[in-house]
Amino acid sequence: MKRVVEVTINGERHELALEPYRSLLDVLRNEVGLTGTKKGCDVGDCGACTVLLDGKPVNSCLVLGVEVAGCDIVTIEGLQPDPERLHPLQESFMKHGGAQCGFCTPGFVMMAKALLDENPNPTEEEIRFGIAGNICRCTGYTRIVTAIQEAAKELSEGRSPA
Amino acid sequence: MNVVGTSVKRTDIIGKVTGTAQYAGDVKLAGMLHGKIKRSTVAHANIKRIDISRAVAFPGVKAVLTHENVPRVLHYGSPHPRSASVTCDQYILDRKVRYWGEGVAAVAAVSEEIAEEVLDLIDVEYEPLPGVFTVEAAQASGAPVIHETGYANNLLFKPVVVTRGDVAKGFAQADLIIEGEYETGRPTPAYMEPNVCVCQWDNTGKLTVWVSTQTAFMVRGILAEVLGLPLHKVRVLVDHMGGGFGAKQDLFQHEFLCALLAKETRHPVRMEYTRGETFVGGRSRHPCKIWLRQGFRKDGTVVAREARMTYNSGAYGSHGPGVTIVGTSALTSLYRCENVHLEGRCVYTNTPIAGAYRGYGVVQTYYALDIQMDEAAARLGMDPVELKLRNAVREGDLAPSGHPIVGHGLEDCIRRGAQEAGWEQLRRRPHEPDGTFRRGWGMGCEMHGSSAYPGIKEQGNAIVKMNEDGTAVLLTGAAGLGTGAHTALAQIVAEELGLRFDDVAVVHGDTDIVPWDIGAFASHTTFMVGRAAQMAASEVKRQLLQRVGEQIEVAPEDLEVRDSVIAVRGVAAKRMTVREAMGPKPGIPAANLVGNGTYTPTKSYSFAAHFVEVQVDTGTGQIDVLQVVPVHEVGKVVHPVAAAGQIEGGIQQGIGHTLTEDYIVDLTNGRSLNAGFVDYKMPLSMDMPPIRTIILETAPDPGGPYGAKGIGEDPIIAIGPAIANAIYDAVGVRFRHFPITPEQVLAALKDKTNADA
Repeated sequence: MKRVVEVTINGERHELALEPYRSLLDVLRNEVGLTGTKKGCDVGDCGACTVLLDGKPVNSCLVLGVEVAGCDIVTIEGLQPDPERLHPLQESFMKHGGAQCGFCTPGFVMMAKALLDENPNPTEEEIRFGIAGNICRCTGYTRIVTAIQEAAKELSEGRSPA
Repeated sequence: MNVVGTSVKRTDIIGKVTGTAQYAGDVKLAGMLHGKIKRSTVAHANIKRIDISRAVAFPGVKAVLTHENVPRVLHYGSPHPRSASVTCDQYILDRKVRYWGEGVAAVAAVSEEIAEEVLDLIDVEYEPLPGVFTVEAAQASGAPVIHETGYANNLLFKPVVVTRGDVAKGFAQADLIIEGEYETGRPTPAYMEPNVCVCQWDNTGKLTVWVSTQTAFMVRGILAEVLGLPLHKVRVLVDHMGGGFGAKQDLFQHEFLCALLAKETRHPVRMEYTRGETFVGGRSRHPCKIWLRQGFRKDGTVVAREARMTYNSGAYGSHGPGVTIVGTSALTSLYRCENVHLEGRCVYTNTPIAGAYRGYGVVQTYYALDIQMDEAAARLGMDPVELKLRNAVREGDLAPSGHPIVGHGLEDCIRRGAQEAGWEQLRRRPHEPDGTFRRGWGMGCEMHGSSAYPGIKEQGNAIVKMNEDGTAVLLTGAAGLGTGAHTALAQIVAEELGLRFDDVAVVHGDTDIVPWDIGAFASHTTFMVGRAAQMAASEVKRQLLQRVGEQIEVAPEDLEVRDSVIAVRGVAAKRMTVREAMGPKPGIPAANLVGNGTYTPTKSYSFAAHFVEVQVDTGTGQIDVLQVVPVHEVGKVVHPVAAAGQIEGGIQQGIGHTLTEDYIVDLTNGRSLNAGFVDYKMPLSMDMPPIRTIILETAPDPGGPYGAKGIGEDPIIAIGPAIANAIYDAVGVRFRHFPITPEQVLAALKDKTNADA
């Protein structure tokens, strides 16, 4: 039996009729049409499906759609401050080679967003710890770490608003 | 140079950081059904009976396929039909299963959940056959035959034999002879995007396939051949893809099944592998056993080299022949040697399929070679750097392909790496023999060809079109598997045409539109397609300057283009933008300028030396890589950030297969034991050391665009032996296999203590 769930996604209110067994990841991708969030494993191992749930990062494959009633969700599609402008993390990932195949990128960017929200000036060690649940197979993480460091600088110096 | 050599904004990344980039799995079509594959629960068996009646009757199920109702066409599961690289040994679904997890049936249903659920309602009765899970068991006399199409003793093809000079004569001149056995594990590429495709037929009988592949034209060709369609009735679309690392050259089973399910149901069908299926039904590296024997003079010169390799192909041939040929021939080189005798074999076993994976056979053989060079240095009392420099392949030497080497790239890499690492001081430093944590340094080298030529008769193709506003479009068949290839190609076109980078767009990923390409593999794209793009751009520029020359009455050779402005050389006042030159004028229509470039290659090689520091915890056996200094020589670098990214990612995968990654098969029944990211342990952010990447441009190749060579394969090769050699430096224990696990380190340290005592 489907259940009706009200949820805010990227600032927009949605009323969704959901099968109780369907993951938030599948709901976002298949029922809301937000395919930027990726399915790399579907069992919480890879972090490609990371989204913000009431400001905290979650593997959306491990959350049921019906669990997020009344919650506020931000996906990669909701990160840009306005359509003409990228978030500093997005700019930084582009500039510093933080993305290659790009499949893990939305998850990394969202995880980095959560990290910087909580700790605006992380050390390299704190960044590496913060993204330890996200797997990238292309970059060796070097440039992802740099991208997050540079975005943190950009944000904390107030050059770009988050 | 203006554009080539700068890290311009990659054209593919904005979609990736905003979530708008479309991958095959993001395609959603009206009326789309979902497909799933039922997989075998035995490793080797004939299918006696398969009953689909319960599945067909299940609500929401639209079609069920088995070997009884799909075309029975023997096909090449890999992309180079009729080349020596691959075997023709697969059916879409067969009456026989050859590995645990092989697809035996497929279902299309209205939801993924129903498709998944109903797999249990397909009843398969197996007549079990004895399974062979190691190359020894498969080659034993009386071993079960896995493929009737193969050679005796489960060989895929006739052994590869490579001979240069006279090894017996060489060994007779040797002051020191070393031999050893080496063994490599079964890492998998583990790209982040699971295999996925969507298939749709239209009313004219044309099949459209959205698929995550490195080789769209090969997918088109094989689908057309197996389904009995002409090429213009199969269209393959790939926009973005989430990595491939070689393995996504193959056709897996789902492309055929998805197309047939879509045909049967008259609905589009989507089929996506789970992560587990991506392991089980995917492709791994070939596990390999290597016997290697070399003779050295006192001064370190290698005078003879003899080796026998046996690669484990798993249940199907895939790239087995190509991997065996490339890996075997690689031992003719890297360290020069006049007397060489090499034999490579590739054997079927009832294990998951090995295929193409970054480093293509060479990861295995250079692991053995570079460890044995380190052993020789120790025995000869030489510095390994000195020994490797003495023997390093150089200008004019014959490469594995038989082509002469251009330049002194390997020597340059070794020297620069030694300098950066401070090797001389490191060699002189005292080792602390008693501490719990012991550190050591090691180095490894590699070379790898750009493009699969001459093994495969390749060509690079490109079309460049000018628009009437002075912008240009490049049409390329090269896949964008994440390397930044399309950006590099656009840079080359902009450079050649004298346009601003932003004035060039790239069209790719549609086999109906773009020129044919063999696929993105073998470090091919920048070298081959880049050169073709340069040729196409050069042709358009010739047409453009001719048009301008006629308009302003100047000889075309006196014109130059830079930043999208055409000027007469030496006459500052005479200028015209490319936009003005292209557009219509009274009495002159807009120009239609198209350039076509086709490049058939020479062979070129890239080189690297990796210097690595490790720390061994003698209490737990844990090995940590503390830092890596990779030095790569790749000719002209087109995009420095993307090139460095390739190197660092390759090192990550190489650290993985050397220390922690091994896809394990139960040798009693062929079952996969760790088909998931928790049990198949790849390096994560906390595991990765600092990497000080250095790229040299000292040996540009005249065959590549502006001297550029390939880079994709190279960085995964030298890191492995560098780590093994560093472990030896740290604790004095020689490992001749990978992965090197903590348990093995502890056991070896205990043995060493006992032996020393």
